[in-house]
Amino acid sequence: MEQKKTFYQEFEVFSKRTPSSPFQHQFSLLAPNAEMAMVMAQENFMRRDPVADIWVVNREHIRGLTKEEKVTLQRLDNKDYRTTKGYGYLKKKWRHYEQQMLDEKEILSWAGGNKND
Amino acid sequence: MIIENILAINITIKYNNVKYTLYEKGGINVSTLEKDFTEQEELEKFVARIEAGDKIEADDWMPEEYRVALIKLISQHGISEIMGALPEKEWVPKAPSLRRKLGIMAKVQDEMGHGQLLLRVAEDLLKPYGKDRGDLMQDLFNGDLKFHNVFHMATNTWADAGMIGWLVDGAAIITQTNMLGASYGPYARALHRICAEEVFHAQHGEAIIMALAEGTEEQKQMIQESLNDWWEALLMFFGPASSTTTGTSKQDVTIKYKIRTSTNEELRQSFFSKYIPRILSLGLTIPDPTLHFDEEQQLWVYQQPDWNKFKQIIRNNGPRSQARLNLRRVSYETNAWVLDALSAAVN
Repeated sequence: MEQKKTFYQEFEVFSKRTPSSPFQHQFSLLAPNAEMAMVMAQENFMRRDPVADIWVVNREHIRGLTKEEKVTLQRLDNKDYRTTKGYGYLKKKWRHYEQQMLDEKEILSWAGGNKND
Repeated sequence: MIIENILAINITIKYNNVKYTLYEKGGINVSTLEKDFTEQEELEKFVARIEAGDKIEADDWMPEEYRVALIKLISQHGISEIMGALPEKEWVPKAPSLRRKLGIMAKVQDEMGHGQLLLRVAEDLLKPYGKDRGDLMQDLFNGDLKFHNVFHMATNTWADAGMIGWLVDGAAIITQTNMLGASYGPYARALHRICAEEVFHAQHGEAIIMALAEGTEEQKQMIQESLNDWWEALLMFFGPASSTTTGTSKQDVTIKYKIRTSTNEELRQSFFSKYIPRILSLGLTIPDPTLHFDEEQQLWVYQQPDWNKFKQIIRNNGPRSQARLNLRRVSYETNAWVLDALSAAVN
């Protein structure tokens, strides 16, 4: 099929809500170049909610997975040595030594320093 | 099992339509697995995914019937957002205060933004046919693509602007939230964005109606007249209960593919349950003496709108159909030279 004449290119738009939040995909838009895409991104998707940063990415520059490659994403449930699940038995062991297990919830609660130190 | 090719480090095995390529490159295993699915296998996988609540994406395999149903639905939805901005933009210069003017301008901008989102979703689906939003606009002008029946009506007073925000957007919220879980991922994501803004639209409309309802006798009369004018259009909004009225209906195929869950009539009943008590609480009278809730059937009983009038409207013979199409056509044709000039520079 003959390619139609168009000056539009497809851009995917990503933005983050606050300086500490991760970039999140918003939507796609059409624009003649990245500068216009940036203007359109704000017009189209950021009329209300707070926004700390914006990325526009030309679709041509995105390498996605093919249908066949997606099939290979299926995980086998044999990697518990990589996860805390594989070490869950420690909880019982520590109880034997009259100690609490330092689990994920406990460790991540140390953010910003422990007040009781 | 057919062993197609054996090299020292490159083996391709074909078994049961699955092609396994096993090879090593620079000591790294880069084996791949490919399967040549038949049309029937693809369809079975597709149906299974939809049944499991999985989302279909633009580059996924989908049956033609699904793609065509989505294109019809989403291009009509997108074009209707743009055509729906037209009756409202008429009220931007006539809004009674600066705050109201800013409010309705923001709403008109949102509607155009919704059109942009939906046309993007439609364009990605149209790719195999080599079509884009320019073709959709031509289809609109030719009468091949319809815009929503409610946007063929005239707006006569400021109360109509309020009524559109409150009850037309209210009706739109009911049909659009019904599709938030749509099996087609890009449409569901567009609807999530749209519905969040529709909440503002509905409240913007409520604020206009509330001010008039608490105003002078003349203002109260203005909203009553507006309700009288719009009631039939609000009933028609959800479409006929079955395809027997107009010969076709999208509801069966969209329910089958889990794009929506409820029928037109269920959506209309849900609109009644949510809005009739609110309309009455403002001291308004619904222009249908037969309207009541039947406890036994657990259904609202109401006077059917004139479905012949509906058939005329969807053939672009409604009160403002041609005027609004012309407005769009003139602006598109007047500005066409810009698109031409820029395309020539690119190619």
